Amino acid sequence: MSAILELQGVSMSFGGLRAVDSLSFTVGENEIVSIIGPNGSGKTTTFNLISGLYEPDSGDILLKDESVAGLRPDLVHDKGISRTFQSLRLFTNMSVLENVLVGMHSVTSAGTIASMLRLPSVRREEKAMYDKAQEILGMFPGRFSGPRQHQPAYSLSYANRRRLEIARALASDPVLLLLDEPVAGMNPAESHEVMEQIKMLRDTGYTILMIEHDMHVVEGVSDRVIAMDHGVKIAEGTYDRVANDPQVVEAYLGKRAANATA
Amino acid sequence: MSFDHIMSVTIGGLTVGMIYALIALGYTMVYGVLKFINFAHGEVFTVGGYVAAFTLLALGIDQNSPWTLVAGAVALALLAAVLVPMALGFVIERIAYRPLRGRSRIIPLLSAIGVSIVLQQLIIIIFGPKPVTIPTLAISSAAVSFFGVNIRVLALVIIAVSAALMIGLTYLVKSTRIGKAMRATSQDMEAAEMMGIDTNRTIAFTFLVGSALAGIGGLLVVMYYGSLKYDAGFLYGLKAFTSAVLGGIGNIPGAVVGAIVLGMTETYGVSVDLGFLAWFVVAGLALGLYVQMVKAPQRRLAHIADERRTAEYERSIMNVYRLAPYHGIKTLLAERTDALLSVSAAHGVRLMAGNVFLAVVAAVMFANASMRIDTRWQPVIAFAVLMVILMFRPSGILGEAVTEKV
Repeated sequence: MSAILELQGVSMSFGGLRAVDSLSFTVGENEIVSIIGPNGSGKTTTFNLISGLYEPDSGDILLKDESVAGLRPDLVHDKGISRTFQSLRLFTNMSVLENVLVGMHSVTSAGTIASMLRLPSVRREEKAMYDKAQEILGMFPGRFSGPRQHQPAYSLSYANRRRLEIARALASDPVLLLLDEPVAGMNPAESHEVMEQIKMLRDTGYTILMIEHDMHVVEGVSDRVIAMDHGVKIAEGTYDRVANDPQVVEAYLGKRAANATA
Repeated sequence: MSFDHIMSVTIGGLTVGMIYALIALGYTMVYGVLKFINFAHGEVFTVGGYVAAFTLLALGIDQNSPWTLVAGAVALALLAAVLVPMALGFVIERIAYRPLRGRSRIIPLLSAIGVSIVLQQLIIIIFGPKPVTIPTLAISSAAVSFFGVNIRVLALVIIAVSAALMIGLTYLVKSTRIGKAMRATSQDMEAAEMMGIDTNRTIAFTFLVGSALAGIGGLLVVMYYGSLKYDAGFLYGLKAFTSAVLGGIGNIPGAVVGAIVLGMTETYGVSVDLGFLAWFVVAGLALGLYVQMVKAPQRRLAHIADERRTAEYERSIMNVYRLAPYHGIKTLLAERTDALLSVSAAHGVRLMAGNVFLAVVAAVMFANASMRIDTRWQPVIAFAVLMVILMFRPSGILGEAVTEKV
């Protein structure tokens, strides 16, 4: 199995705080890897490092053996890393459809003047984009059908906003999909549905790195789990192995609970 | 007050308004994307006008030049008035704003004021302190008869060109790839970057488009008035910025509407008789009464829970609204101390005072129907109208394009 993403001893500090400390791991092709860990353990910082928002102090991040560390976020996206956000960041004043179309920015090329003149090449591209957007929105049956696509994103329910973020991230056919707490704030039925969708995405060939707190979802979809605490990887392996690791239990529940299970 | 006069004043006001609109679009687009007011934008407009004027002067055309030569010269002047401001806007963004992006908001604002001063001085240094004047051209003075009214062709050209540019801009922002990138950047710059949008390029593009529009505005002003002074950008910029706020900052159609309202107010205020202006006050009063008597109670009625909704209850609410001033005075006279009642009473009295004030103003204006306001009062009238509109609609006529952050 070849590695899609490889982190090599990545570190990042904010002032005196080491948010991520010599973190190394890989994500293989067509694999779902989950990162778990208590709040403040450096999970989202890791995502921000991978997606180019921060530049690592040391270490390297490789996407298909090519370094993306310190690249501008838009260039990282061009290379094929697409993400969703823990706190939703849709373009709320734009329509559902437009949000997906914006997600295609790096895979389209229509020039401004060509667009203004509506040249045939532009019209072809627009048609292809529209079809592609329909295909992606169709992956969420009944959620974004018909007139709903033209409503502004702020009119969507919370769960649908989460779904739309995933749709927007999928629009560029990413090599690697980063999902930051995809089921946060959802009820059990909704999170179960998203879980099934994530599995379906793997079956269609996507590679996914996910941050999630909902252990039910983590257990259900992950091929591998990485546990972090204080910026350090403390365990890695199958869900069962990581969930029963004394260090992980300690990070979540404290020393006494860890001793009790040991 | 003849039809001819009203007609020519209207065209005049629309022309001025459209020029404000061309400049206002630059303010509002940059504000939409960066949440920052580019105070140097007025100077970009002046540079556009100067460059156009000097191109015409350098080509040495005058009233007797054949029309082909004039057309070619104007085309060249247009090219210069677009390209030079675009380059200027690009450079300003690159060296004065981009390095300061992400700092506290006041810092790029200071930088913008600084750039504005520098540009004004540069205009004086390069072109001299005297206003630039272009020779009268046949195209500038040509007029057509429209329902028996003589109207300058150039005024119609300005209105048509500006309207076309605004429609084009709306299409650009709404339907093209770069337009979507602009809107995404204006809503959430970081998220836009992580969706693959090069925000630096998008912002630079915004400055290019805004500056080109201001440059075209400069050319049109030079052609229309025949001359331009080095500090013209200050007043035009201020008025255009005002238009953008009046229409709702960040809102592209808003900037156009605000600019037309401002241009019309300025022109109408001092060019038509009080008797005619009074009708606008009457219209304002009618609108106010409609909102107070119909709209507000309807809004209130919509909030009643269904189980409490009875015809009698609804009627009582309507009565409270319709008779608010009456109830208000009654309550005040009775010296009621009931908190809720006294609040609604005070509101009712205020509304009535406003209505009476407008009615008195209208009556005074009708009584002096043939008088005209002295031109020196022009800015004061414009300012007063602006204050009244913003008092009732603080977010501007069409509303700010505010980003709803979740």
